[in-house]
Amino acid sequence: MTLSPNILALPVAIPLAFATLAIVALLLRPPFYVRVQRVLAAVAVVLNFLVALLVLAYTLSAGRLVLQVGTWPAPYGITVYADALTGIMLTSGGLLALLVMPYAMASLNPRRERLGYYPMALLLLMGMNGAFITGDLFNLYVFYEVLLMSSFVLLALGGTPSQINAAIRYLVLNIMGSMMLLLGAGLTYGMLGTLNMAQIAQRMTDAPSTVETLIAGLLLIAFAGKAAMFPFFFWLPSSYHTPHPAVTALFSGVLTKVGVYSLFRTFPLFFPNLLVAWQPLFFGMAALTMVIGVLGAFAQPTIRRLLSFHIISQIGYMLMGLGVALSPSPYGVGFGLALAILFVVHNQLVKTALLMGGGHIELETGTGKLSELGGLAATKPVRAAIFFVAAFALAGFPPTSGFVAKLGLLQATFATHNYWIAGVSLAVSVLTTMSMIRLWQYLFWGKPKRTYAPRPHLEQPSINFMLVTPAAILVTLSLLLGIFAQPVLQVAQVAAAQAIDRQGYINAVAPQELGPSLVQENTYAGSLPSEQGGELP
Amino acid sequence: MTVTAWLLAVLVGVLFACGALLILQRGQIKVVLGLALFTHAINLALFGAGALQHGAPPILPHEENVAELLATRTFADPLPQALILTAIVISFGVTAFLVVLVSRRDALTGGDLAPGELATVMSAADPFMLGSGLLGAGPDAYHEAADDYDIFQYEFDEVYDRPEAEAEVAHEEIPGSVGDDDTLA
Repeated sequence: MTLSPNILALPVAIPLAFATLAIVALLLRPPFYVRVQRVLAAVAVVLNFLVALLVLAYTLSAGRLVLQVGTWPAPYGITVYADALTGIMLTSGGLLALLVMPYAMASLNPRRERLGYYPMALLLLMGMNGAFITGDLFNLYVFYEVLLMSSFVLLALGGTPSQINAAIRYLVLNIMGSMMLLLGAGLTYGMLGTLNMAQIAQRMTDAPSTVETLIAGLLLIAFAGKAAMFPFFFWLPSSYHTPHPAVTALFSGVLTKVGVYSLFRTFPLFFPNLLVAWQPLFFGMAALTMVIGVLGAFAQPTIRRLLSFHIISQIGYMLMGLGVALSPSPYGVGFGLALAILFVVHNQLVKTALLMGGGHIELETGTGKLSELGGLAATKPVRAAIFFVAAFALAGFPPTSGFVAKLGLLQATFATHNYWIAGVSLAVSVLTTMSMIRLWQYLFWGKPKRTYAPRPHLEQPSINFMLVTPAAILVTLSLLLGIFAQPVLQVAQVAAAQAIDRQGYINAVAPQELGPSLVQENTYAGSLPSEQGGELP
Repeated sequence: MTVTAWLLAVLVGVLFACGALLILQRGQIKVVLGLALFTHAINLALFGAGALQHGAPPILPHEENVAELLATRTFADPLPQALILTAIVISFGVTAFLVVLVSRRDALTGGDLAPGELATVMSAADPFMLGSGLLGAGPDAYHEAADDYDIFQYEFDEVYDRPEAEAEVAHEEIPGSVGDDDTLA
C-alpha cells in the first residue's frame, strides 16, 4: 500500500473546512441552523476518524509519512510528519471527537448550539490534530493556540458566572504556558538557527549543554503546564467542572493528552541525554502529580471535581513511563514509552467514559454533589454497569486496559531498578481504587437522598441512547484493549520504537543544510521547486 | 554584544519582572496588563534572538557564488519578525477575549450580589474553595456550598421540545450577550 503524504493535510483541513461551513450555517433561518451544523459536525468527525485510521494503518505497516508543504524542502518549508505514535494519537483523539459528538447533540441546549459549540469543537479537533502532526516547533505553538482559543470559547460557552470565573483562571494559566513555548521556540531559533524539529534534533547534539538545558526547561514547563503536571496543574481542577458535561468530556480526552504527546515527541527527539540525566526530575514530578491528584480527589464534593483530580493523578503515570523511556531494560529500550503510550490511550477512553456517565447524572438530577445523590444502581442498571467498568479500569483492575497498562509500567520501572517510583504508583493505585469505591458508593448504592425533578427530554429513548452508547463503546474498547493486550502492546512498541529513533526521524524529514546548490536552485535561479515539477524529496 | 543588545536584554528583563509582578496582584485588570507585558517581553526576546543587524537588508543580491556571499555579507534575518508578527496577532486575540471575560464577570458579580453569594460564585471555580470561608465550617457546609450548578440553568428552565425551543430561542436575546447588558455601557 502506498499513501500519498498529502493525506497529512486532511486532519487539519477537514475540521477547518467544516468548522468554517458550520460558522456560516449559523446565519441560516431558525430551524435549520442547528440541523445543518449538526450534519456538518457529524460528517467532519466521521471523515476525520477515517483519515486517522488510514494514517495509523499506514504508519504501522510502512513507516513514516512526511509532507513538505508546498514542496519546499525542509527546513525552509513547513514539515508535516506522522509516525505510528502520531497515528495512534490521531486515531484515539478522533475517536473521542466522534463519540462526544452524539453525546453533545443529545445533551446540548439549543442556546449553546446557537452560540457555536460545533464550530468550536471542530476547531479544537483541528488544533489537536495539527499539534500531533506538525514537524515544526513554531507551528506547534500556533496549533496550541488554536486549540487553546477554541477551548476558551467552549469553556465559557453559556456565560454563567462560574464558567466565566473558571475561564479567566484557565486562560491566564494556559497563556503563561504557551508563552513559555513561544519563548522556547524563539530561543531555539536564536541559538540553533532552525525551527524544523528534525534539524533541531540534528543540531542539538553539538549544542552546548547550557543551550540544551535552557530549551529543555522551557519546553518542559510549557508542555507540563498543558498536560496538568505538578506544579502546573491548577488550571485544570478550577475549570473542568464548570462547563457543560459534553465540553468536559471532550476536554478530558483531548487537552492534557496533547501536552503529554508533545513531551513524548520532543524529549526523546531533542534531548535524549537529558531524558536520562533528568530522570529524577521526571520521577519527582510524576510522583507528586500522582499523589497530589489522588489526594485532591478525596476532598472533592462533586462528581466532576473528583474526576478532574483523577485526570491529574493519571498524568503522573504517563510521565513515569517517559522517565524510563531510554533506560536499558530486559524488555528492550523504549518499553516504558510503549506502555506510557498505551496508558494515554487507555486513559483517554476510560476518563471520557467516566465523565460522560457523571455528566449524564448531573444533567439528569441537576446536581453533581455526592451528598445529594445515591441509589442510582437500582434505577439505572446499564449506566451503573458502564460506570463500574470504567471506574475500575481507571483503578487498574483486570481484565481492563488499565490493568495491562499499569502492570506494564510497573514492569518497566522494576526492570530499570526504579523501585521507589513503582512503590508510589502502586500506593496511588490503591488510593485511586478507594476513591472510585467512594464515588461508586455515593452515586449508585444506598437510597436516593432526595427526589429529583423529572427531566422528560432526557428520558426519551433516542436521547438516552445517544447519551449512553458512546460511553458503552468506550468501555467496551477498554475491555478489548485489556483482553487483546498482546497485539495492542506490539502496536505501542512499534510507536515507541519510532518515537525514540532520532536518526529515523531526521532521515525521514531530511533537512538540508544551507549549501550553494540548494540556494541556487530554489531561491536564486528564479524558479520555485514546484515549477520544476519535482516530486517530493 | 552591542549596546543595543544589552539594552534589549535589560528591557526584556524589566518587562518580564513587571509582568510577573502584575500577574501576581489581586485585581483582574492588573492580570490582563501583566499578561500584555509578558507578551511584549517575549516578543522582544524573539526579536533579540534573531541576531540584531544594524542597517543590513533582509535580502541578498543575486550572485553566482552564494557561499562566498553568505560568508562575507551581513544581512538581517527576517524570520524572527515573522514569528513576532504571528505571536502579536495571537496575543492580541487572547487579550481581547480576556478583557471581555473580565468585564463580563464584573457585570455578572459586581453589582447585585450579596457578599455571601459573591463568595459562593467566586469559590465555584476554586479547586480548594479557600476563598469561601468554609475551611472551618465542617464538611456539611462545604458540601452545601460546593457548586451552584447554574451551568444547567437553560436546561432546567426551557421546554425541551426541540423544534419549538429552537424557534423560540432563535429570536430571543441570548442572556449573557453583551448587547442587552447595560452595566457594561
